[in-house]
Amino acid sequence: MSVADNPNVPSFLVLHLGTRRVALSREEVAELIASPLLYSFPHTTPLITGVVMRRGRILPVLDLGHCVLGEPSPATRFFLVVERKISGATEKCAIPVQGGCELVTGIMTPEADQSGFVAGWLDLNGEQIEVLDLEKAIATATRGYTASAAEVTV
Amino acid sequence: MTPPANSGPAPRDTRPREQVVVFSIGEFSFAISAPSVQEIRRTDSLGGAVVELDRSALRKVRHIVERDERSYYVVSGYEHFHLSVSRPTTVLILRDAPVAVLVDRIEEMAEMRVLLHLPRSFCGEERIWYRGLTVLGRKVLPVADSCGFLTAAELQQLEEQNPGLLQTAATSAHERQRG
Repeated sequence: MSVADNPNVPSFLVLHLGTRRVALSREEVAELIASPLLYSFPHTTPLITGVVMRRGRILPVLDLGHCVLGEPSPATRFFLVVERKISGATEKCAIPVQGGCELVTGIMTPEADQSGFVAGWLDLNGEQIEVLDLEKAIATATRGYTASAAEVTV
Repeated sequence: MTPPANSGPAPRDTRPREQVVVFSIGEFSFAISAPSVQEIRRTDSLGGAVVELDRSALRKVRHIVERDERSYYVVSGYEHFHLSVSRPTTVLILRDAPVAVLVDRIEEMAEMRVLLHLPRSFCGEERIWYRGLTVLGRKVLPVADSCGFLTAAELQQLEEQNPGLLQTAATSAHERQRG
């Protein structure tokens, strides 16, 4: 049995955020959707750029470009639906991605410095792909937002 | 087996309905429950009923307005929602709070058939601003909470900085009417 066929080998979804390729654990990802309309309205939550409708449900859109690229992701109509656990409940969120995603299996090399939002690294034919820890990425962006807001206030 | 066609009247839509006022500030549209709005006026028709506050603890509140023996804090909608561009021409005088909200314009009256919870991922001030989200004409709109324009703490802050101002303004307006 090859590594790819082995259900015990973890799988990951490799996605495009702007010019970067990063990966998320397959367990966090529900589906890839195409949604033509992003609805935005005023709010103060970092990373959220609006909401999309999916089967009559409203999904908040979390733009990881802010923490991975240091700027908003380019406009897109493709979103990766992920599940987050918030206050003991599960909520689906949409992450804007550019183009298709690739399902890969492999062994992740854990990141030595666990203070950041990179959980580890995947070796894909010699290319080192960052595996993101979604909740840490959101927490990091939130801290950055709070810090910059404080700078403005002072 | 498929159910027989035309076997009876179509089931009635029993979802709760609520009349809402759809208004805009800058590029954004919002809905607010129609019963929570007492009066809608153009800003240029308020005339001498507007009093400028000497001091205000809140940037979004700079005036009070007197209407029918009651006084209201005038909340700038665009300051409240942290927007940068706005041309307020209309004021919504609210029923449930001593608040009048400056908005750019009224878009329409509509019937809201669904009020969805704001997703938990939203964790900022919007949890105070909105009752939830609704879908009107294929658009998702936030539904403003009439009690969210000024929180109890903000009202207390304004009252402490301008003690008895709302009461005084209401009394003087009443006396002017009697005189």
